[in-house]
Amino acid sequence: MGNFLVWVIWILAALACLGTGLAVVSFSNPFFSALALIGNLASLAVLYLLASAEFVAAAQILVYAGAVMVMFLFVIAYLGGRADTPWAGGPGWMQLGALVAGAALLVEVLVALLLKAGGRLSDEAAVPTSFGSPAEIGKLFLTDHLLAFEITSIVLLVAAVGGVVLGTKASAEDDGS
Amino acid sequence: MGPGVPWYLAVSGTLFAIGATGVLLRRSPLIVLLSLEIMLNSGNLALVSFSRLFGTVDGQVFAIAVMAVAAAEVCVGLGLIVAMARRNLPLDVDLLRELRG
Amino acid sequence: MMVAGAWLCLLAPLAGALAITLAGTRISRRTAGWVSTLSVFAGFAGALASFLATAGRDAADREELSTAWTWLAAGDFRIGLQILVDPLALTMMLIVTGVGGLIVWYSMGYMAGEDEERRYFAYMALFVFSMLMLVQGGNLLLLLVGWGLVGLASYLLIGFYHDRPEAVAAAKKAFLMNAIGDATMALGFFLLIAKTGSLDFTTAFDAASRGELSSSTTNLVALGLLGGAVAKSAQLPLHTWLPDAMEGPTPVSALIHAATMVTAGVYLIVRTHPLFEAAPDVQHLAAVIGAVTLLVAGVIALVQNDIKRVIAYSTMSQIGYMFLGAGIGAYSAAMFHLLTHAFFKALLFLAAGVVIHHLAGEQDIRQMGGLKRFMPTTSAVFLIGSLALVGIPPLSGFWSKDAIIASALADGGALGWTLFVVALLGAFLTGLYTFRLYYLVFHGEPSQCVLDHAGGHGDHAHGPESAAAHAGHSHAEGPQSMLIPVGVLAVLAAVGGLINIPGLWHPFSSWIGEVAEPLVEPSTGQDYLTSLIAVTLGVAGILIARSAFGAGRELVASPGVRAALEHKLYFDELYDALFSRPAQALAARLRDDVEAPVVQRSLVQIGRGTREAAGEVARLQSGLLRTYALAIAASVVVLAVVFLVVR
Repeated sequence: MGNFLVWVIWILAALACLGTGLAVVSFSNPFFSALALIGNLASLAVLYLLASAEFVAAAQILVYAGAVMVMFLFVIAYLGGRADTPWAGGPGWMQLGALVAGAALLVEVLVALLLKAGGRLSDEAAVPTSFGSPAEIGKLFLTDHLLAFEITSIVLLVAAVGGVVLGTKASAEDDGS
Repeated sequence: MGPGVPWYLAVSGTLFAIGATGVLLRRSPLIVLLSLEIMLNSGNLALVSFSRLFGTVDGQVFAIAVMAVAAAEVCVGLGLIVAMARRNLPLDVDLLRELRG
Repeated sequence: MMVAGAWLCLLAPLAGALAITLAGTRISRRTAGWVSTLSVFAGFAGALASFLATAGRDAADREELSTAWTWLAAGDFRIGLQILVDPLALTMMLIVTGVGGLIVWYSMGYMAGEDEERRYFAYMALFVFSMLMLVQGGNLLLLLVGWGLVGLASYLLIGFYHDRPEAVAAAKKAFLMNAIGDATMALGFFLLIAKTGSLDFTTAFDAASRGELSSSTTNLVALGLLGGAVAKSAQLPLHTWLPDAMEGPTPVSALIHAATMVTAGVYLIVRTHPLFEAAPDVQHLAAVIGAVTLLVAGVIALVQNDIKRVIAYSTMSQIGYMFLGAGIGAYSAAMFHLLTHAFFKALLFLAAGVVIHHLAGEQDIRQMGGLKRFMPTTSAVFLIGSLALVGIPPLSGFWSKDAIIASALADGGALGWTLFVVALLGAFLTGLYTFRLYYLVFHGEPSQCVLDHAGGHGDHAHGPESAAAHAGHSHAEGPQSMLIPVGVLAVLAAVGGLINIPGLWHPFSSWIGEVAEPLVEPSTGQDYLTSLIAVTLGVAGILIARSAFGAGRELVASPGVRAALEHKLYFDELYDALFSRPAQALAARLRDDVEAPVVQRSLVQIGRGTREAAGEVARLQSGLLRTYALAIAASVVVLAVVFLVVR
């Protein structure tokens, strides 16, 4: 029974993921695309939970869906009508090329998974219940991956400063024009 | 118990392909950024799946770092878009071609 | 000691040339002259030391090959930087550095005050080095290197007065004709490498003398060598450059075009005599060429009016004698004549140089006359040189020239007798033209030109007589640096022949004979008979010249013959029509039809094409973000496929 439930939830979440992904790419109104992306992020969080990555799932909801997407929605709302551009355009061969590239990537991934990886992907390791807990992740961040931790924080700082600079400059020139 | 790792990886790969198609196909920079987010997330999913496969937490650690970087990138990207809109530049990647040789 | 002296001999002049070149204008002109002279005399010291060391050894032990390092290695073909020290090489080394040193010393006085004097001395040292490399080269390749370098030095020195178009043209002519010879020699060498795989003397000579090479091979190789010798030694048909080469300064004419470079052809034949002996037809051809040149040069000299040109044709004629000797196998006789000729011909040139210097550049003998009164010393040495040239005993030319003529007699056969007669005829002609020159220049009433230049010096009652006492004083016949070498050469020309007296003692013949055994040896009786006839003919020539001079007649009266001789038998015109004009026409045609439309236009086309292609490629950079992204995606796809397939 438990296994069956897991499977059902998993399939639903996966379908939602893929569906919303397609929706993001297809809608012409960017507002709807952003909403679809939020749904994508949520279904991904469910998948993370099923894969014993609890902390990552929580961070996904809080940070990604909570902060980043809100930023997106802010900007879309600010830009209003100017954001409505046609769905696709440009050279016809570009569209074809894009579709072909996407299809090729898909095929390659599937081939790699099914034919090449073989049985090596099936032996899951046994994990303790504290596998995806914040304690585990925190321990690694502060010992093995300390450098990555610090660099990431610097990246965030730089992005924040950059955002402010872009915004300030724009406003200065805007006032001057 | 539940689907094995290959299933997760299949979803991840498909998401990646969808995201790539979106980047290549759409003309609005906002939608391009959104598609880019999809690609990043697909990478995250793959990382988490492999971490589950090998039983080490490093994959999840990396996934969190990716999330942080993605947030930073979105911040800068949206800043650019807003700056472009303020200068009344068309928000269409096909029309922004000063890199032309 | 033997080898060390030889290396010193080779490298000292090179060091001198380099020193002068590198010092440039930082040293004075006199210093450049001294550096050059002393470096050549240092070479002479080295050669002398080497000679004494070699002479001290047993006859069988007198050959040494010294290798500095392996210069060229291509597959199995190896050539080293080698010098060969043996009697033949030593003889040439002594001549080149000895006579060369005297002439460079003489140039210090002759060329004093010339523009670019230092360049001259650098070139002279370079020439001496090149000539030494030629004679000391231990294998055929180094000989060829020296051969080419002397051609270069000759070009540089003939064209020394580069403001004069005649000098430049003469230099080009000399170089071109020598290049023809170089080409035939190189072809001969290629054949030799193909057949024997080496250019070492021993390998080539042994292969030839043991009959391992086919007769066509030996003939071709020998012909190639002969071609080079003929060009370098100005024999028919490649002789037209030598009279024109008189455009160079007189010491250059003395050194290069009398004593040393033009004799390189004779040296070559004697050095490579096994190859020639394996190709007897070619060897006899060499003798015939020598004989023909002997006569032709002799008759042309009868009507020339430039003092240097007469001596130049005389050189051509005397080298004809040497070729004759080498061609019939009288190697030591040919080398002996080379030695004595170096003495008296250099003497004649240098004395002529004193005359020219004194008369401020006048070279036309019709403008001269009666110089004996004003330049008695010069007149005396010129007389000595002339008598040696004609072959009057006991001067040097007598011993050497008659050795050759007697060898022709000893050879016998149709060829031998013909050569004998021709050589005797040549002796007669020599007497004629030499003493025509002497009388016209030094005897008779002083001409206007002479009086102009000598008149200013006439108030010295004791003037030219004490030229030696007034050494260096410009009122003397010439500066000391010019007169001493002339004096030394006069002594050598007088007594130099006494080192080989047939029937009495012959150290020189044995010396050379160790390297090149003669094919013919005249008996003492043949020697004395020949000498008798030759001297008689020579004296007859002198007397006829004297009587013609006394009567004021020219030696060649008939106008048609005169015209032909004055035009040097129309060789220049012939070559011009056969080679020069067609070559120029061909060059012009090629320039108009090939170079301009094809080569130059093609360059323009390449430029245009490149630009157009670049324009096409630039279209890739559309500026479209999505195109670039598509390209990246496509590359990723391809890479992934490659990885999947390969792994």
